[in-house]
Amino acid sequence: MEVKDIRNQLVKMLGRDKVLTEELDLMYYSYDSSFLTKLEPGKPTAVVLPTSTEEVQKVVRFAYENDIVIVPRGAGTGETGGCIAFKGGIVLDLSNWDEIVEIDASNMQVIVRPGVIHARLNEALAKYNLFFPPDPGSSQMCTVGGMVANNASGLRAVKYGCTEQYILGLEVVLSNGDVMMTGGMNARVIKNVSGLNLTKLMVGSEGVLGIITQIRLRCWPKPKARGIAMAVYDNLDDAPATVLEVYQAGILPSGIEILDSSAIMAVNQFKPEINLPDAEAILLIEVDGNPPSVDYEGNAIAEIAGQRARSVEWATDPKRMAELWEGRSVTATAAARVRADGSRIFAGEDISIPLSKVADVLRAIRALGNKYGIKVVNYGHIGDGNVHTAPVINPENPEEVEKVLQLVHEIHLLAIEMQGSTTGEHGVGAVRRQYAELEHGLAVEYMKGIKQTFDPKGIMNPEKLF
Amino acid sequence: MEFKELPPVKDQIMKCVRCGKCRSVCPVFAEIRNETAAPRGHVFMVQMLRDGIVEPDEAVAERLTTCLLCETCSVNCPSGIDIHELNAAARSYIYEKNPSLAKELVFDSLWTRPGLLRTSTKFLWGAQKTGLQSLARAIGLTKILPGDLPRAERMLTNVPVRSGRSQVSEINPARGERKYRVGYFLGCATDMFHPSVARATVDILTWHGCEVIVPRDTKCCGQPHIANGKMETARSLAAHNVKIFNSYDLDYIVTDCASCSAALSHKNMKFLLGGLKIEDQAMAFSEKAMDLTVFLTEVLDIEVPNAEIARKVKVTWHDPCHLANAQGVKQAPRELLKRIPGVEFVEMANANSCCGGSGTYCITHHDLSMKILDKKMERAMETGASKLVTCCPSCIMQLNFGAQRHKWNAEVVHIVDLLSPFYKALPKKAASQ
Repeated sequence: MEVKDIRNQLVKMLGRDKVLTEELDLMYYSYDSSFLTKLEPGKPTAVVLPTSTEEVQKVVRFAYENDIVIVPRGAGTGETGGCIAFKGGIVLDLSNWDEIVEIDASNMQVIVRPGVIHARLNEALAKYNLFFPPDPGSSQMCTVGGMVANNASGLRAVKYGCTEQYILGLEVVLSNGDVMMTGGMNARVIKNVSGLNLTKLMVGSEGVLGIITQIRLRCWPKPKARGIAMAVYDNLDDAPATVLEVYQAGILPSGIEILDSSAIMAVNQFKPEINLPDAEAILLIEVDGNPPSVDYEGNAIAEIAGQRARSVEWATDPKRMAELWEGRSVTATAAARVRADGSRIFAGEDISIPLSKVADVLRAIRALGNKYGIKVVNYGHIGDGNVHTAPVINPENPEEVEKVLQLVHEIHLLAIEMQGSTTGEHGVGAVRRQYAELEHGLAVEYMKGIKQTFDPKGIMNPEKLF
Repeated sequence: MEFKELPPVKDQIMKCVRCGKCRSVCPVFAEIRNETAAPRGHVFMVQMLRDGIVEPDEAVAERLTTCLLCETCSVNCPSGIDIHELNAAARSYIYEKNPSLAKELVFDSLWTRPGLLRTSTKFLWGAQKTGLQSLARAIGLTKILPGDLPRAERMLTNVPVRSGRSQVSEINPARGERKYRVGYFLGCATDMFHPSVARATVDILTWHGCEVIVPRDTKCCGQPHIANGKMETARSLAAHNVKIFNSYDLDYIVTDCASCSAALSHKNMKFLLGGLKIEDQAMAFSEKAMDLTVFLTEVLDIEVPNAEIARKVKVTWHDPCHLANAQGVKQAPRELLKRIPGVEFVEMANANSCCGGSGTYCITHHDLSMKILDKKMERAMETGASKLVTCCPSCIMQLNFGAQRHKWNAEVVHIVDLLSPFYKALPKKAASQ
């Protein structure tokens, strides 16, 4: 089918306001936050902005009948190129569709459309003393649909886990336009083991199996109190050792984050008022719950950390906590501050490794940075072994680009060698699919088989995930 | 300087990691809601321009000019990118390749000549009174002007006969002992639309011991030119004003217009005149320049006189983007409000969100501007204030229209209007405080 005809048909279906067809407009959809799309942007054939299941069905049916690729997209804050139509196709921008359909507080559930922003959802739930616990650094801009598609998590995964643990059921538009309800989408129950678990299959499927159009989420009671301990280390090995000792003391913090020396420098340059001390590593350990338990655990953590750390600060003052936590949450992009003429890039940024090997891996990554002459900033969710590495380069210098691509390749291989994974929470998309065989072996064939069942024509976000 | 060599274009584009933080704060994105309106999208498009992947044409300009230049994205960008400067630089580049007679008429011939601009304003006033404006509308004259002007013209109301400049002297001695010699940058909008503010500003400053110099040859600060792609004109206006004010031996330079104070700031002077011969003079100028609210609270540390005439009034404050975002000034106006006898200050939610006025934006993008305004008005009305106070003539025009549009029975005033009665009531030769 001619490009012109595809565009005309889409406009006929959804109306002029919900379809972008001008070449210039389509260029804006050629990127996400990945370094890959800086190097290889992928312009779609058309962009549609549906706001109903029926509209999604119409577009998908049309694509199915005409063998046109379909790529779902949330806020485009992903770091894997997962929402990019690299070889053309129809991008479904679902970020407009941000309805909170129902808050069922008496059953601790909420039903949302895919475009709801994570932070807005939690604002709405807060009125009922509820919250949706996964807490990505991009909370202010990422969509819940994107979180489901990538099985995202974030800073509090150590206690609250990943998105998949909160999905009770989904409405999914399949490749032929049919609508499938999974799990408890039409029920109001929390426990449900009936049938094969297609909900879990869909969570983290990155748009290769279908388009998620409605989500029933489980909510949790919102903790009444929080506190943050900041422990400062002169010796890198002492940081993961403290984490283990906190666990061994029977304490499960809601977040345990690490910033290495380069990340500390980046945060201080970005926001000097945060004033993190110079050190080899800093741990930020958050506990939440009821006030007496927060006090008890905070004091216990301060005592445990104090045995190894140069200093420990325990804060329950909301202002100070916000500063400490903000310091961590801005590290991702503040990393660029370590080099005046540089920019951090999102590549090799999400490896997951065993807790017992965190210090070794951080040192190995620094050594790789030295080998290629590239500054790297390391930070991440040490409580669950998820390390975010930020290489800082001049992305417009071809030599540096060449080197950094080798560096991130080695980081991915390092993760696999250390019995880890190439991605802990950001997903695979286009940037990590080359490691699928190495990570999963025979399982990849079964993944492909599943895709074939759901998407016999191969139109759903092809060349992603595996 | 070539487009590619401009500092923001050369140094900052590569820093954008497209994290999308800007999507969450942009008032325009909140309305348009697709990626073409995202500030990171504008950075991307400027990069495409720089790299020659897209042509510097009207189609690109149309997309870039959906941006208000409110700087909300810039102050929230974790990578520290001055997104508004990139956008302004691109507008200028596109304009250079696509000059327009209408824009030259408005921004080069009219808006660079204060006298002519004032005459035109008077004509506009006369036109309103005599019905010529209706005639112009009837013959479609307004249609040749840019954007949504035919709908936006209803915003033009009450243009005073006498300009501000005609009501203040060039040299106004301090009342009592002189503390400072202050240059008053009387901006176009205050001059034309709010002459009473100009008069009162001089009264307030002189009462507090300032000799106030109002240079007769002050020209526009250049903000409208920056927004409309006339960067070269903005540069020459800035250079002119720097020379004029530097020719006096001034301790400070103040202005009661938030947009003007942003234009006079170190950051904007660097943006416009950095790397040019006049840079050092411009830096010396901008070191002395500040918003009136900052000068009154932080330098003069005023106590408002004549408190016994105070009447209780509940007010709320709107942060002009050019004050809160461009200069980071949020505390000074609130502090000043607290010092005004009788004022009960109530903070509105998101007081620093843009009102959608943004100079000529309310004319060129009227419908979009109204959507942004409506959100602002909802939050302002929630406060129950009887006066909505700010310090930017463009915001005042927009918010006034918003109050009418929402049938809100509150008055929109400049902060100087609140101060003014306390100084009018003073004897002419009052001692300096």
